[in-house]
Amino acid sequence: MRETIVNLFQHWDLILSFALRDIKARYKQSALGVAWALLQPLSMMIVFTLVFSLFAKVPSDGIPYPVFAYSALIFWTFFSNAISGGTGAMVSNAPLIRKIYFPRETLLIAVLLAGLLDLGVASLVFVGLLFYYKISLSLAALWVIPLLLLQTVLTFGVISLTSAIHVNFRDIGHGLPLVVQLWMFATPVAYPISVIPSWLRPFYLLNPMAPIIDGYRRALILGAAPDLPSLGMSFAITVIVAGVAVSVFKRAERTFADVI
Amino acid sequence: MSDTAIELSGVSKRYRLRRGWQVTSLKDEVGRLTARFLGRAVQPREEFWALRDVSFSLTRGEVLGLIGMNGAGKSTLLKILSRVTVPTTGSFVTNGRLGSLIEIGAGFHPDLTGRENIFLNGSIMGMTRREVQRKFDQIVAFAEVERFIDTPIKYYSSGMQMRLGFAVAAHTDPEILLIDEILAVGDASFQAKCLNKLAELKDQDKTIILVSHNLTNITEHAKTVLWIDHGTIRMFGESDAVVDAYLEHVSADMSAEDSHHEARDSSGDRPISLLDVAMADESEQPQNRFDREDTVVIDLTYSASRPIPGVVFGVSVHDLHGYDLGGVVTDPDSIKVTAPVDHAVLRLTLSPLLFNKGAYTLDVYVLDPATRRFYDLRRRALRLLVDGHRAALRESTGYVFYPHRWEQSK
Repeated sequence: MRETIVNLFQHWDLILSFALRDIKARYKQSALGVAWALLQPLSMMIVFTLVFSLFAKVPSDGIPYPVFAYSALIFWTFFSNAISGGTGAMVSNAPLIRKIYFPRETLLIAVLLAGLLDLGVASLVFVGLLFYYKISLSLAALWVIPLLLLQTVLTFGVISLTSAIHVNFRDIGHGLPLVVQLWMFATPVAYPISVIPSWLRPFYLLNPMAPIIDGYRRALILGAAPDLPSLGMSFAITVIVAGVAVSVFKRAERTFADVI
Repeated sequence: MSDTAIELSGVSKRYRLRRGWQVTSLKDEVGRLTARFLGRAVQPREEFWALRDVSFSLTRGEVLGLIGMNGAGKSTLLKILSRVTVPTTGSFVTNGRLGSLIEIGAGFHPDLTGRENIFLNGSIMGMTRREVQRKFDQIVAFAEVERFIDTPIKYYSSGMQMRLGFAVAAHTDPEILLIDEILAVGDASFQAKCLNKLAELKDQDKTIILVSHNLTNITEHAKTVLWIDHGTIRMFGESDAVVDAYLEHVSADMSAEDSHHEARDSSGDRPISLLDVAMADESEQPQNRFDREDTVVIDLTYSASRPIPGVVFGVSVHDLHGYDLGGVVTDPDSIKVTAPVDHAVLRLTLSPLLFNKGAYTLDVYVLDPATRRFYDLRRRALRLLVDGHRAALRESTGYVFYPHRWEQSK
């Protein structure tokens, strides 16, 4: 874990280069370019508003549903895109891994960095929505910073594990999109936590993403602090997952070039 | 600071063989684990030791030549030194930044421009972006791609990509440099540039490991040579002694190994086939070891089932890498097959033999000059070893010896 943090600083330039490569390559020869970063959560928001709010009448804790959904969707999109990009990061860079040495986790951090840029672009629409619905940010909005940090570390842990497994077993590339989709429905993205029956809630909150996504919404729209007990739990799970995942990754990394 | 640049002790590398193109699936692996858990015998995977117990050390500023047949473990050794993979057992230390001219341009992304790729590749090779910025103009000038620097490199010719890759790698300013046959890259003027760069690095007391199948290149640049054979160190020492022993071994090996018979004609119509190919000296004694400027006699024995209107016999020479160094062919107007024959001999005399010291292989073939279709082709039909008193003279570089004379006016 310590080695990873040291590498993060020592190889910052390499991480930046990989992230720039990923961003530039993604939007070259595409007419809409970086607008794609915005279209994905935006279209999901429109569909969710129709299906969950208009048709199914899912409550949204008194918040206009489009803002309610979008505030979670931009962060969820960051999470799910980072997982799909991060899981395949080793295999899609196989020629490089087979030939040149560099700390492999730089590829994962670059995926996260590129994802953060997309998140930044997507949040421009969020600002527009806040204006439209006349919602003003309060000081509690600063909670977004630690929440995003926690989410990033959690994502890093998940992709450390999945990318290392992906090198050996391509199966995970097929199974993971399904898992991520199910995971979204186990997270308060389209509905509020308040609809979860109270007997189920302790189990529900074991999902480390649940308090994080709920936290964003509280901080940005309700102007309130996150639910600290459940966030503390999420923090503990994140630390364990990331710790285990990174040590697995560092062990597996040694033979990536042989099996990839 | 210590004077040792590289030190390996007992380095071994084991690979597990995987069958087919398929990566192990989860199902196989679960099956293996379950079997092991239940205490059933698990069929051991096939193993292959690419390196076994390799130990040596190099002092700063030394140039080491690395030789050995294909598959001997040279690439594995380079992979371990460059930390792409880890040794299964044993350990090694390298002092100083390690650069590699092995996989130049491996980090290029086709959609990015030359400029963007220089930064990308530079940082992959361990430079900071600021360092790349500082050397940017030098790199671009070295690669001669000024005009195309803001063009995506997928539109570059392969030569331009290669030059750009080499330019970035050569400017990483390493203390230890790994080179794999780099001198065979690019056109003549670019090769000269590469050689100058190599000389410059040698002058700067860089430690260099040079892999080459061109033994002349090796003895020219390296004082010390390491010969790897089947993953173990066969010999390590002064370059001439090691190269001589290597040639000796290769020639002995050659006579033992069968040639590879390969016919390109699948239609079944083979009006002419090669029965035998033999090499001898002037006095017709079978021989595959010659000195430079000796006479070599090669007899091609063939049979023909019918008269063939046009036929070309050919012998081509290859280095140990398989690179075609050229060859000789018959003139279809003078060498003809006008009647069926069971056993005929065509004799080729090479005199004088103008190859420099080294080991070569010869392909022998018969083809139809009109369609370029092979009637018969024998790859590596003969092995030719050039060694001896004249071959040892250092008056010519590369593979081919040019009969020459120097005169200096007073």
